[in-house]
Amino acid sequence: MADSLQENGALQLQLHPEPFDPLVVLADWQRSLAAGGTEPAAAEAHFIGRVRGITAAGAPLEALELEHYAGMTEAQIARLAADCAQRHGLRAVRVDHRVGRVLPGDTIVLVAVSADRRGPAQRGGQELLEALKHEAPFWKREWSGGVGTWVAGNTAY
Amino acid sequence: MTASVTATVITVRLFAALREQAGWAERRLELPAGAPAPTPANLWRQLGLGETLPAQVRVAVNQVFASADQPLAPGAEVAFLPPISGG
Repeated sequence: MADSLQENGALQLQLHPEPFDPLVVLADWQRSLAAGGTEPAAAEAHFIGRVRGITAAGAPLEALELEHYAGMTEAQIARLAADCAQRHGLRAVRVDHRVGRVLPGDTIVLVAVSADRRGPAQRGGQELLEALKHEAPFWKREWSGGVGTWVAGNTAY
Repeated sequence: MTASVTATVITVRLFAALREQAGWAERRLELPAGAPAPTPANLWRQLGLGETLPAQVRVAVNQVFASADQPLAPGAEVAFLPPISGG
C-alpha cells in the first residue's frame, strides 16, 4: 500500500523554509517512535547532507536556492519512502529537506530510517536518499559572485 | 458560449530554469468544448516552448510523473520539470 507508511505514522516528512538542526529532529523522531510504546528498532541509519562552500565549477558559493513543487514534492517523497520501506522492510522513515535560500554549512537534507537489522537500514537509507536526489522535484540554483546558475542534475554519489 | 457548453481548462506550470527561460510560471488554457484532448507534448509546442519536448524535461500530470503523450482530462494540471537536483 503506497500510503500505509504515512497513514500509520511510520513516515514523518518535513520541508523547512528555515534552517533546522538535524540532531534535534532526530531526537524528536526517536522520542515519537518510543511514545508508541514499542521496543526501539535494533538498527537505524542516518544521513545528514550539508551545503558545501564551493560551486560545481569550483567558485566560492554564497548560497544555494532550493525550489520545489509544493504538493508534488511532498507526495513524491511519500511514494518513494513507501516503496523503499516495502522493499527493505523498514519500520520507520524520517525525511527533512530544506527549501528556499540555504547557506554553506547548513543542513540541506536528513534521511533517517529504522529496521530490524543493519543491512536493510543502511541499504534502505541509501536507496531512499538516491531516490530523493533523482525523483523528488527539487531544483538547486548556485549563487556565486551575485550570479545564479541552475544546477543540471546531480553528482554521482 | 452558453452555460451548457463547458470549456476544457488545463493549467500548465513551469519550474526553475524552464520558468525563467519562458518568463512565466503558470498559464490557464481554455480549450473549446469538444476539441480533442491535448497531450503535454502538444501543449509544449502550442505554448511556444519548443518544437519537441527535450528528453531531459519530465512531465507531471496532477502532480504525478506522467507520459508526454497522455491525453489530458479537463481540469488537469500539467507541469514541465527540468532535470531534478535535490538532496
